[in-house]
Amino acid sequence: MLNVRLFDITTLLFGVASVNYVTALYGKKETIARIGTWICIAAAVVSTAAIGVRWAESYRMGIGRIPVTNLYESLVFFAWSVNLFYLAVEWKYKNRTLGAFVIPIAFGTMLFAWTNESSIQPLVPALQSYWLHAHVITCFVGYAAFAVSAGVAVMYLMKAKREERKLTGGVVALFPSTKILDDLIYKAIIWGFPFLTAGIITGAAWANYAWGTYWSWDPKETWSLIVWLVYAAFLHARVTRGWHGRRAAILSIVGFLATLFCYLGVNLVLSGLHSYGGA
Amino acid sequence: MAEGKRNESLMDRVWKFFISLKLAIFVIIVLAIISIIGTIIEQNQPLEKYRQLYSDGTIRVLEGLGLFDMYHSWWFLLLLVLFTVNLICCTVDRLPRVVKVVRNPKTTLDGNLEKTLGLVDRWKRKGELKALAATYQEALGGAFARPRVTENEGTLHLYAEKGVISRFGVYVTHLSIIIIFLGAIIGNVFGFKGYANIVEGQSASVIPTRGGTNHVDLGFAVRCNKFWVEYYPNGQPKEYSSDLSVIENGREVLRKTIEVNDPLQYKGVWFYQSSYGPAGASTVTVAVRDPDGGGGETVTLSPGRKKEIAGYGTISAVDYQGNFQGLGPALLVVLEKPGNQPAQFWLLKSYPEFDRQRRDSRYLSFAGLNEIFYTGLQVAKDPGVNIVWVGCTLMVVGIMIAFFLSHQRLWIRLSRGGDGRVEVVLAGSTNKNRLVFEKKFEKIQADMKAVKA
Ligand code: HEM
Repeated sequence: MLNVRLFDITTLLFGVASVNYVTALYGKKETIARIGTWICIAAAVVSTAAIGVRWAESYRMGIGRIPVTNLYESLVFFAWSVNLFYLAVEWKYKNRTLGAFVIPIAFGTMLFAWTNESSIQPLVPALQSYWLHAHVITCFVGYAAFAVSAGVAVMYLMKAKREERKLTGGVVALFPSTKILDDLIYKAIIWGFPFLTAGIITGAAWANYAWGTYWSWDPKETWSLIVWLVYAAFLHARVTRGWHGRRAAILSIVGFLATLFCYLGVNLVLSGLHSYGGA
Repeated sequence: MAEGKRNESLMDRVWKFFISLKLAIFVIIVLAIISIIGTIIEQNQPLEKYRQLYSDGTIRVLEGLGLFDMYHSWWFLLLLVLFTVNLICCTVDRLPRVVKVVRNPKTTLDGNLEKTLGLVDRWKRKGELKALAATYQEALGGAFARPRVTENEGTLHLYAEKGVISRFGVYVTHLSIIIIFLGAIIGNVFGFKGYANIVEGQSASVIPTRGGTNHVDLGFAVRCNKFWVEYYPNGQPKEYSSDLSVIENGREVLRKTIEVNDPLQYKGVWFYQSSYGPAGASTVTVAVRDPDGGGGETVTLSPGRKKEIAGYGTISAVDYQGNFQGLGPALLVVLEKPGNQPAQFWLLKSYPEFDRQRRDSRYLSFAGLNEIFYTGLQVAKDPGVNIVWVGCTLMVVGIMIAFFLSHQRLWIRLSRGGDGRVEVVLAGSTNKNRLVFEKKFEKIQADMKAVKA
């Protein structure tokens, strides 16, 4: 199928861009990083086209549905969001070192998607709901923001560690200042949090329309609540206890690990109603 | 007296405990940890399931701690109560102060305030105080927000603000949590959840709830007229549908075909398509005709029963396939004619003339499978659910207000300096998003300096 070809090309582009960003970081060659940016833009175009093509192909197959409803589709949508979110941040902060920490996440996601069943399957009745589409989209935009936040948090920890030892130079010299990194960790989370909140709510609305219960404590729901609570704790610790810097960075990484578990771990380790990974 | 004082300080301490954010963060983290446990120990499973996983001793301990039904245990509810009390106390403690600050903004920039502000600039220019104030009022109105002017001992103060509402985003968010809890409580107390299996053609008006230990009389009946399944070309189910009628006082008052994700609602009770199954054995209809076209009769066959066809023989249906070798639904029949060996052959629903090939005195066609289903309906009444949705909407709105708006304030102070020129002090503050505001401040600073009298 054409859409899968296009997604494969996207995977390749993310791979090349990751290599570019990392090489640029260690080789201190801005030009290579700039090429990385253009590759990411190309990947954005190709993956957007791929999503469109997949959508159209599903109609041609007589299935007709938005491509955000199984593990493969959610993974590519996640990578798509991470990439766009990253490009926006890069554009705004005019710093390409972030790419070395964020684009590999998109690449890894696409590689994982590549190992999964990619054909367009019809939707079982329970998944035919506009609420579900809104649910997946909002959740994954939120997850993408958390991924960016965690990538920046790693940069923060690297930079803070070197500064603590009063070392200068090294790759971290190219990073934005710790003040900006700290701010960015927070900024990404305040983008992710409302999206995750909306994601949980639309999921509840979907469940209510399908089963008559908006909350049933199934493992996936519960894990999304856990993720939400971790970030709520982050926000309160930051506002009122002055948890900035190192501790905030660590909380951001913990939050993203919880997100990953919510997304993949629950299906691989626990069981529930959700469709990903299962059938 | 001493007694009273100690009481007061105890009260104080209790109050401090309940308004503290440490408690909030602690409770949030505990809730997260409990939720993790709740996903590791599967909740509300039948005892046999737990027996496979744990030893009897472990089961007794976990059961005693309420860990098999955590979310309804007293300690979990207590934790939610603690969380709510914390939230309410915190609001009671802070909100009045915020309202006060917002109602009575500090409109004059005195020396003390100036020292607390990070963004301050000063310059001098020629001109007359009042005229300059009018000029700056105009300019600031264009560049930021229209300021008010206060005069104080010969000094003129301009004050402008934007995004006051951002101060309330947090409270809207917190209030929304309480509204959601309220909706959930109302739903639990005044609502019910039940389950009904209704065979096609039959109706139900009493719904078992709480796993069958209780019953709710709806006051009306729901009849299942028909249930059917549609399939995708690959054979996967596409939609489960039930044609339902609501019958009240012997009259049909509502009729709707429900599907998964498209329920029926009557008098606040919702019916959701949830499952289905066969109700009793299916029958098949077979048409018996003469090859020259005359004399048709149809017979209905039940599984395992032979049926006599006068002047021909007995037939029975022995197998059914939904898609026989790509030719569609097919029925395997056994024909026994007196004095002959029993013959076994397939009838194809899509090719009614197919059986002519036997060149017998009659030919048979498979007219259809009459399956009788029951439809499984989830029945729910939740008078709190709309309150929950109001809370949810407020929550998203509140979070956006809290995160993306900021309360930005600007002051300009004009006073006559010693050298006859006017001293201008521009100061600004924001409660959020400092970096963005700094840029804005720089721009306003440049604008104000460039403004012509
Ligand atoms: C999990 C539930 C909760 C959510 C989703 C929530 C949400 C929020 C949000 C979005 C903010 C704004 C943070 C920022 O501006 O960066 C905030 C601040 C705050 N929250 Fe909560 N909150 C929750 C529970 C609580 C509880 C139980 C308390 C009880 C004391 C509390 C007290 C506060 C306080 C005092 C602030 C700071 C207000 C300020 O900036 O002056 N929150 N909360």
